[in-house]
Amino acid sequence: MSTTLTEQYPELAASIAYNPVIYDFLQNSLPDGLWYWNLKQPTQGWVNATFWQTLGYAPDQVPADPAAWRACLNPVDLAAAWQRAEACLQDSTQSVDLVLRGTHREGAPVWLRCRALVLPGDEERPTWLVGALFDVTKEKHREAHAQEVATHYSSILSNQSVYILKTDAQGNYTYVNDFFYERFGHEQDLLGTSSLLSIIEEDRPKCLEVVMQCFQAPGVPHQVILRKPYRDGSIKSNHWEFKGIAGENGELLEILCVGYDVTLLLENLHRAQHLLDVTSQQNLRLQNFAYIISHNIRSHSANLTSLVQLLSEAKSKAQKTMFLQMLTTSTEQLADTIVNLNDIVTINNNVSKPKAARALKTEIDKALEALSVLIRQHHITVEVDVPPTLTLTVVPAYLDSILLNLISNAVKYRALDRPALIRLRAQPTPEGVVLTVQDNGRGIDLAKYQSKLFGMYKTFHDNEDARGVGLFITKNQVEAMQGTIQVESEVGVGSTFTIQFHESA
Amino acid sequence: MSQLAYIIENDHITAVVTEMVLRKNLRRGEVMHFVNGQAAINQLLISVEKKESIPDLILLDLDMPVMDGWEFLDAFLKLPIAKQVCVFVLTSSIHPHDREKARHYSLVKGFFSKPLDSDSVAWMQQFVQLAGASTRAKRLYATQH
Repeated sequence: MSTTLTEQYPELAASIAYNPVIYDFLQNSLPDGLWYWNLKQPTQGWVNATFWQTLGYAPDQVPADPAAWRACLNPVDLAAAWQRAEACLQDSTQSVDLVLRGTHREGAPVWLRCRALVLPGDEERPTWLVGALFDVTKEKHREAHAQEVATHYSSILSNQSVYILKTDAQGNYTYVNDFFYERFGHEQDLLGTSSLLSIIEEDRPKCLEVVMQCFQAPGVPHQVILRKPYRDGSIKSNHWEFKGIAGENGELLEILCVGYDVTLLLENLHRAQHLLDVTSQQNLRLQNFAYIISHNIRSHSANLTSLVQLLSEAKSKAQKTMFLQMLTTSTEQLADTIVNLNDIVTINNNVSKPKAARALKTEIDKALEALSVLIRQHHITVEVDVPPTLTLTVVPAYLDSILLNLISNAVKYRALDRPALIRLRAQPTPEGVVLTVQDNGRGIDLAKYQSKLFGMYKTFHDNEDARGVGLFITKNQVEAMQGTIQVESEVGVGSTFTIQFHESA
Repeated sequence: MSQLAYIIENDHITAVVTEMVLRKNLRRGEVMHFVNGQAAINQLLISVEKKESIPDLILLDLDMPVMDGWEFLDAFLKLPIAKQVCVFVLTSSIHPHDREKARHYSLVKGFFSKPLDSDSVAWMQQFVQLAGASTRAKRLYATQH
């Protein structure tokens, strides 16, 4: 504890105590104000010149009223000071040290720290409070600003759309913002747990790769999209920017990660991609169809051109008759081709045909009835394993055509060396009804014909009746109803056609 | 000298018409017709075996059942035939992919759209003669060395 002035320089202290010049100097130059307050009559008091300077009054602007100081101090704070002073009177170990709010000449608040001494009075003499005032306005402003900045940043960190987190060099969470915690916290403390393990397994190598990049190039942002289970169990895709933060020696201390949810964005992207795929497929189909039309019509028109030429150059009557006969056949074939093409154009027409619910078993029975003569004639065993209650929402005419075509193919391409068997099965699956038409017939060499099987005017057996349009039309009808058709087959064993209906689509 | 031509074509009328045009322009020649690639390959196998004449010229359709034009080309390349045979594709296809694919077979000397006309036959004739000369030159070269 330092010595008092009286102890160290008793003479100086004595001279000051009774020297009115020094007394006045101290009275008027004490830091930011000196205040005497009569605690018995609180309207009475005195302030020095620096008080007014602190409040922004020039010497000639100081109010003439000796009680004007009171109006410049906050009454609530005055009441608090009075209470503190009373407490000091009761207990001399207490002290007065508080902040009073004053009003600057221009209206702004001024904070004055007041350290005060209470001089007790008696019946005749009033009790005085002697307060030294220090302007702490700047400190107050700084504190308020710091508070504001802190609030500002914390509101950014706990915003409603961006995840902000930090991990240590081992990848354990050291900080997560409120938004991240709300969505991925799972009611438990995340801090200290592994961030890597919170990512779905397939994406972990991708995450590690980016972390390695952070180690190699700290201070540079590295981007990655990672999937993580959300608290409701669904998987969310988040786009992250990882940034390694290095210490003074360049070693990686932590990784700062800022991310946002891109699940919806990715879903939309996938949807758009799917649409594009569908459109490209349709476009390809249309282009192929244009080639088919051109090919089929050209082949007949070429014959007609040649035949007319040959006819005009024909020398004998017999030749003329022959060419005329061929001309007739050729025009008939052209007419047939146009009818076939028309069928297909109708199926591929974008105007959707009305769909209706049909009991599959009933439709199969109808198709079998239509082919019953052939089936009986060739002693074909038919097994139908289809629940009678199973219904399909389809274009009825297409379903009829598909069933007739697949069953009649099975009849047509039956094996001649063994009893023929046709088996129809159907069952509901989450994607829609699956129908299979299986036979033990001659089969198709898929290694050779897989790519052509559903093509137009393709025939695979030396069969005079084959027109090569059946499976092409079937495939178009199935696809027009958003279904798919596949085939498994082995030569000499049989074929199985599988149709997957997608009724909801 | 006499020439042998194959027509591989599944459409009956086209085959007859093509044969007529060919006969008219080839004068001294024999024409054989096959309904698909397999039938032609079968005949070629027999001809190789029995050392009968191998065609100078093959007119090949692409779109056929059982064995189409492409499969015929692949099967033909595997046959033990030394003679230079000129294959001409004769198709109704205008698919650019077909023309491009044909370019990859050095065996294919031309790609024609139906119907076959005299100009095309004249064009084929030139190739056949060149090929014949080349085969004879090779044989001559082989006997001298």
